Amino acid sequence: MNEEIEKEEDEQSKEEEDESDFVIDFTTSSAINKVGLKFLIVYIPIFWFSGLIIATLWYGYEISPVQWEIKLLFLPLLLLGFSFLFIFSCLFFSKLLLIFINLIHEPKEGIFRTERGNMDFEFWRLRTEIKKIALWLLRNWPLPWIDVIAFRWFGIKMDFTSHLNDAWCDAEFISFGKHVTIGQGAVVMSSMVVGNYLIIRKIRFDDYALIGGQSTIAPGTHIGEDTVLGAVSVTTLNQDLENGWIYSGIPARKLKLNQYAEMRRDIIQKVDVDEEKKVETEHEVNIDEDKKHLINQAKRGADE
Amino acid sequence: MSVPNTMRVGPFCASVLVKKKYLILYIFLIWLTLLPAILEIWWYWQLLWYEIRPLHFYIFLPLVLLVIYVLTVFAAIIFTKILLVIINIFHKPREGTFLRDSSDKDYRYWSLRNTLKKWPTWLAHKFPFPFLDNVCFKILGVKTKLSSSLFEGWVDTEFMEIGKNVVIGQGAIIQSSVIVGNLLIIRKTIIEENVRVGTHVIIMPGTHIGKNCIVNTWSSTMVGQELEEGWVYNGSPAKKFKKNRFFEDIPIEKLNKSIGDLDLLLKKYDEQRVARVVKERRFLHRKDKEEKTTVEEE
Repeated sequence: MNEEIEKEEDEQSKEEEDESDFVIDFTTSSAINKVGLKFLIVYIPIFWFSGLIIATLWYGYEISPVQWEIKLLFLPLLLLGFSFLFIFSCLFFSKLLLIFINLIHEPKEGIFRTERGNMDFEFWRLRTEIKKIALWLLRNWPLPWIDVIAFRWFGIKMDFTSHLNDAWCDAEFISFGKHVTIGQGAVVMSSMVVGNYLIIRKIRFDDYALIGGQSTIAPGTHIGEDTVLGAVSVTTLNQDLENGWIYSGIPARKLKLNQYAEMRRDIIQKVDVDEEKKVETEHEVNIDEDKKHLINQAKRGADE
Repeated sequence: MSVPNTMRVGPFCASVLVKKKYLILYIFLIWLTLLPAILEIWWYWQLLWYEIRPLHFYIFLPLVLLVIYVLTVFAAIIFTKILLVIINIFHKPREGTFLRDSSDKDYRYWSLRNTLKKWPTWLAHKFPFPFLDNVCFKILGVKTKLSSSLFEGWVDTEFMEIGKNVVIGQGAIIQSSVIVGNLLIIRKTIIEENVRVGTHVIIMPGTHIGKNCIVNTWSSTMVGQELEEGWVYNGSPAKKFKKNRFFEDIPIEKLNKSIGDLDLLLKKYDEQRVARVVKERRFLHRKDKEEKTTVEEE
């Protein structure tokens, strides 16, 4: 009898071990494994068509009967316009291709095997490859906020109040609230490669979320309103960061309440003394005399 | 997606010795690689330019420019390889610990090699399609396969061995040479097949990562550290976190498990954290000894 019980216990403990083994409580990367040379076929038409538009315009410029001095004068402006046009036509053609591809296979969240023949995996690779070209062009462009346009086209919900021009970001299954700031060198990934499996989960940033530099956001993370994630921190899979807290560390843990959140938006600063009682204090704002009336205006607006 | 400015660590060595004579070689190399591109454009011009009806010329121009770009990258890689072969005749690259000083021959040649390699790797890295990076690494002396992705991180270009199907995360740094104080350490780094390296990981020279390993985000390894086959590693320096079973065939429902108790997980992470003990400085000991001796004398 005893032996049997021991056996059962052994089996039970084994099962428990098994279950803890499969929990993904670490974060890896979202770089594509396996470089697919066949995806080069997608690149060539995008480049070609966008190049053709520029080539026709250039031909028109060449044969136009304007004096050559004036032509030369406008050449820099024209080159600027051409490069813009090239980038946006690349964006347009990749969007067309994406629509076409998404008709064949709809992108969805979940866990997939990274095998040849798994449709979800193969189409994920194809999508990322297509999106890369326009994003790469825009990010090499000296205007910092312009990649937001590409992100919006590719299906990320965001507006111009948020910016992530210095962060690495996947271009699907992410939604941004308003005024989200993401630090330099941060990695926001909605897909992750763990062993033989690819995990795709949606990331949500609520309003006024702030992500520190060099931190990593794992798939499935939800970052609440007014939440701050410190620099060099990592979130684990499906982690939920509560509203109004400062998180930090690997993996991210609660540090303290985010008292700076309220201060930031109002000119009159509100300070939490206790958790129950709130005291309003007025702080001196260091600005020019002739602009002080602006504060009073804002104050009156807030009161009304 | 595309690599941002702050993470575009790019394949370069920050601490190479700056010497004007290296710049001469560098400019010579750039000049050499641009010559074939000019030749190709001239050839294309000869072939298809027809003054009255230049339709064909303009239709194929974008495509040809793309091809010329790729060919230029290849030319850069090949010319660099030739120059490197010539340089390696004068001084063979070798592993070891060297003095970081311009009087040290190994250090000088290491700087020269890295200066030369900068141009082709930079050029290959600029192309959005990643296969050029792998070709560049392969020709310049990194043993790797096209199936591994090395283009989101920073990878050294010599004394590296990377197996097939390796994924290197965004902003990870895989190095085979490192400068510590006044020393330059060059040791061969080996990453075997199916390794998944997380984001922002730092792999130091001499690290040997076994098959089927996963390295957690923000971990780092020590010089000459061995990571055993089939484990998930975490922390700096990397320690065993748990057994890696994600290369097995598991039903996908099992993977859907939530983390559960976060406090337990935090505890697990905390246990792995290495507390550094600050050693007492040597002169303090000496002082103590002096005092003791004086006491004894008295």
